[in-house]
Amino acid sequence: MLLFSLKPHCKLIFLVLLLWVSLLVDSNSGVELDESLTYIWPLPSEFTSGNQTLTVDPALSLFVSGKGGYSNILKEGFERYKKIIFKHASGISLFQKLRGIRSVYDISELRIIVNSDSEELQLGVDESYALFVAKNDGKSIIGEATIEANTVYGALRGLETFSQMCAFDYETKSVQIYKAPWYIKDNPRFAFRGLMLDTSRHYFPIDVIKQIIESMSYAKLNVLHWHIIDEESFPLEVPSYPKLWNGAYTKWERYTVEDASEIVSFAKMRGIHVMAEVDVPGHAESWGAGYPDVWPSSSCREPLDVSKNFTFELISGILSDIRKIFPFELFHLGGDEVHTDCWTSTPHIKQWLNDHNMTAKDAYQYFVLKAQEIAVSKDWTPVNWEETFNSFPSKLNPRTVVHNWLGPGVCPKAVAKGFKCIFSNQGVWYLDHLDVPWNQVYSAEPLEGINNVSEQNLVLGGEVCMWGETVDASNVQQTIWPRAAAAAERLWSKREAVSVRNITSTILPRYHYFRCLLNRRGVQAAPATNFYARQPPTGAGSCYEQ
Amino acid sequence: MLHLCGKPHFRYSCLMFLVWVFQLVGLNSGFGLDSGLNQSLTYIWPLPCEHTSGNETLTVNPALSLSIIGHGGSFRILREGFRRYKRIIFKFSSGISVSRNSRRIRSLYDISALRIIVKSGSDELKLGVDESYTLFVDKTEGKSIVWETIIEASTIYGALRGLETFSQLCAFDYTTKSVQISRAPWYIKDKPRFAYRGLLLDTSRHHFPVDAIKSIIESMSYAKLNVLHWHIIDTDAFPLEVPAYPKLWNGAYSKWERYTIEDASRIVRFAKTRGIHVMAEVDVPGHAESWGAGYPDLWPNATCREPLDVTKNFTFDLISGILSEIREIFPFELFHLGGDEVNTDCWNETRHVKQWLDKNKMKPKDAYRYFVLKAQEIAISKNWTPVNWEETFNAFAKNLNPRTVVHNWLGPGVCPKAVAKGFKCIFSNQNVWYLDHLDVSWDEVYYAEPLEGIGNASKQELVIGGEVCMWGETVDTSNVQQTIWPRAAAAAERLWSTEEALSADNNSVLQRLQYFRCLLNRRGVQAAPVTNYYARNPPSGSGSCYWQ
Repeated sequence: MLLFSLKPHCKLIFLVLLLWVSLLVDSNSGVELDESLTYIWPLPSEFTSGNQTLTVDPALSLFVSGKGGYSNILKEGFERYKKIIFKHASGISLFQKLRGIRSVYDISELRIIVNSDSEELQLGVDESYALFVAKNDGKSIIGEATIEANTVYGALRGLETFSQMCAFDYETKSVQIYKAPWYIKDNPRFAFRGLMLDTSRHYFPIDVIKQIIESMSYAKLNVLHWHIIDEESFPLEVPSYPKLWNGAYTKWERYTVEDASEIVSFAKMRGIHVMAEVDVPGHAESWGAGYPDVWPSSSCREPLDVSKNFTFELISGILSDIRKIFPFELFHLGGDEVHTDCWTSTPHIKQWLNDHNMTAKDAYQYFVLKAQEIAVSKDWTPVNWEETFNSFPSKLNPRTVVHNWLGPGVCPKAVAKGFKCIFSNQGVWYLDHLDVPWNQVYSAEPLEGINNVSEQNLVLGGEVCMWGETVDASNVQQTIWPRAAAAAERLWSKREAVSVRNITSTILPRYHYFRCLLNRRGVQAAPATNFYARQPPTGAGSCYEQ
Repeated sequence: MLHLCGKPHFRYSCLMFLVWVFQLVGLNSGFGLDSGLNQSLTYIWPLPCEHTSGNETLTVNPALSLSIIGHGGSFRILREGFRRYKRIIFKFSSGISVSRNSRRIRSLYDISALRIIVKSGSDELKLGVDESYTLFVDKTEGKSIVWETIIEASTIYGALRGLETFSQLCAFDYTTKSVQISRAPWYIKDKPRFAYRGLLLDTSRHHFPVDAIKSIIESMSYAKLNVLHWHIIDTDAFPLEVPAYPKLWNGAYSKWERYTIEDASRIVRFAKTRGIHVMAEVDVPGHAESWGAGYPDLWPNATCREPLDVTKNFTFDLISGILSEIREIFPFELFHLGGDEVNTDCWNETRHVKQWLDKNKMKPKDAYRYFVLKAQEIAISKNWTPVNWEETFNAFAKNLNPRTVVHNWLGPGVCPKAVAKGFKCIFSNQNVWYLDHLDVSWDEVYYAEPLEGIGNASKQELVIGGEVCMWGETVDTSNVQQTIWPRAAAAAERLWSTEEALSADNNSVLQRLQYFRCLLNRRGVQAAPVTNYYARNPPSGSGSCYWQ
């Protein structure tokens, strides 16, 4: 009865057409959906659907099984999604319900089977799931939906998909699932699907960071790359070096160790890794607010003083302190945009360079490798921005993950040398570039130029970067969304499914729909089709068309 | 020991200076900036009408308990309010461990209990409901010093305002990792200057999901605004369900961009638990083209669709039907009938309407009056007090129902004329209080005065307040909060605080407003930078919330 197929649409076109016609008759309202498309974002890797419309019980109950079924992560996830699905008051009265309690709805139970009881969240954790939604077939008492996954994190992804199938129907005032029965088998294309947040250029309150993490889970993004510190401010508490966060903008624009831990556990509950970044030796001027010794001199403050042991003790101290907060195996050491002028112009460093027979470029390499050693000694896999790879690839620790940003073609070079790679080509995936329209974000392909399968496997995934110069708590979400969603589908869904021609008719309606879904869930996703990102709507109109 | 006083700053300036110096020494923070606040200012927004403070810093127990003393009512709204504010106040994990906490629970903190004394437990929410409160954070001298926090109010809504103020006194201290109240003891006696402190939201030009509306209402309560003027319907879309006329919401943009009656009731209930009225608007006879999507008979003709057809009984049956249905949803005594920007060309150009005008010896202008007055009658018959945009007053003041509240918008000087004729008035001069005018800076909003030009005290009392208007052409869910805030807060202080308390010192107001903007950000509200020339512009570069 169930057929696995990448293109189930053809078989169903006739049925869907009927459904569509009946919807047109039901409602005269303006905007209509193209029902031949599947409004799940990102698109699942395999799915079939039918032509039934099912109602979902607002008292939907959870029935778990499998070794991992009793996980708190799963239980809380279910409660979260229940709130999302049943936002609207039901039109079916309590009285009606009491009279014929189960029979009013087609789906009254969600069954979730989780095979593993491990809640460990590491890169490449199994996020696959299968989701089955069907009406009562007459044999069992109630209709049901079933999610089966190997881990709780796969189950969470399945819950997200389930929540996107459920839509409030304004005519019957009930939550409905269209195009049932559904059979979905899904897994991510890439293990690393990231969003970078920069809390140094502007401080984001904890609640805002949590909102961002929550919204990432809607698009199945799974790595928050937390660019904690930069030259402008040092907001994080480091207990061993308590003066470091004197580099914060103000005494309120800070993160305690407890705040950071709370963010990590909030993310974990949603199956999201937090990759911390401590960017050295450039982008670190703010460290000197508390410890001016790390500045080459008081007038020339970056990069960190390469000549002092204290510099590396401090890095080691920071990493030791925060290792406890950030369990994720990847740790970002930055290494980008290092201008070594302060080293060569400061006498004691110049002397040190001469003593060690180093050029400034050598010292940059020395610094990065030493920082890598420290990170590796704390059992972290180092990630570095691509300049480190561009400058001294043969010296980098072979476990290094190269983080591309300057332009296209870097991951092909990195994987050819055996390094893992993260794709963030600024031409397409820097969200602070406001002049990149959604279709360019969508069409960017992390594996472009890499044909060898074993080399392709070295590309962990990609990341959209939200640098913070012109975003703060007032506009960060509207700058992230909806374009981050375009990258999210690229990173999750099958390459064949996203590499289609004519994305204006096949992808854009789904992209609009997802943007409106984000709005409904309280996420300030901006209009989808303005040329510049985060621009206000150009005039009155529907969310589904703007 | 406690003194009531409108301007307590002078008396305390010496103490404050000491506190300020102490804080400077105590905190090295501030990379490139001294992060100490100007402690001569009071960082409560809007400023309470009377307050005194001291120089002690107190810690607040995250397990803060509540006791309510009062008669009648369940105090459910108050208890919910307390829980809400507790979450706001104790957002941050405490640095004091649970084990330490449980061993010596009470003694670790100066403040562990909040007492609320309410005269009436009634939850009735009417225009002019008593919102006054007093708030003490004070010590009682016994064998040992015990700190007490007490809110006294006549109504639960006054107590909610007191809770908001209390929450603004509490600040997380990053050094001790605890919530502190500085400058205690506090004595605050507060009440609003105007009964009506509104924000208009337009759900026709763009649909706002229920969650977005709730976020807006929640944020209004932080600034002690108390009326959500819900401009539900306009030319562009008719999102509201009207069960008696089920085709009306066919005028919605799509089948998802709608509000069921349950949605609307939920919004009203959500607002009520925050002491906020919801004033609905059904704007007639102009701004109503979307009605015809379901009932084309309302259009003068298929090509000329506004204003509503004045000749047909059906038009007024429909208005009456809508008002009957939504009367239950909107208990607030004021109801807005619009009446603005009525261009009568379609009436003149449509043959059957033209004939009707001739037969009844009416000019289009007369028919406009006829329509508005008939709509007023319908509203009054449903026990509503009609509010109309100022054009109705400008065009036929003497015919308006004397209970009419005139809603100013076109420019300055209208409320003086309206109150001179005995009408009540709401101030919304578009030059200063239309939030969609992005080129109005925060201080122009702040220094707009609803009573300007009204000298007579009895006439002043007819100005029930003012409202900032967030018209929806270029705002949607993505940017509405950043367009509303922080400028709505500038108007909110104008409407709440006494005129004497409002400082003429631009710079000190700015510092307090920047602080409040950051407070909104901390609470998850997307308030935009304060000092950009154009509203809702992004920050111009990296920097602190407290100076952008």
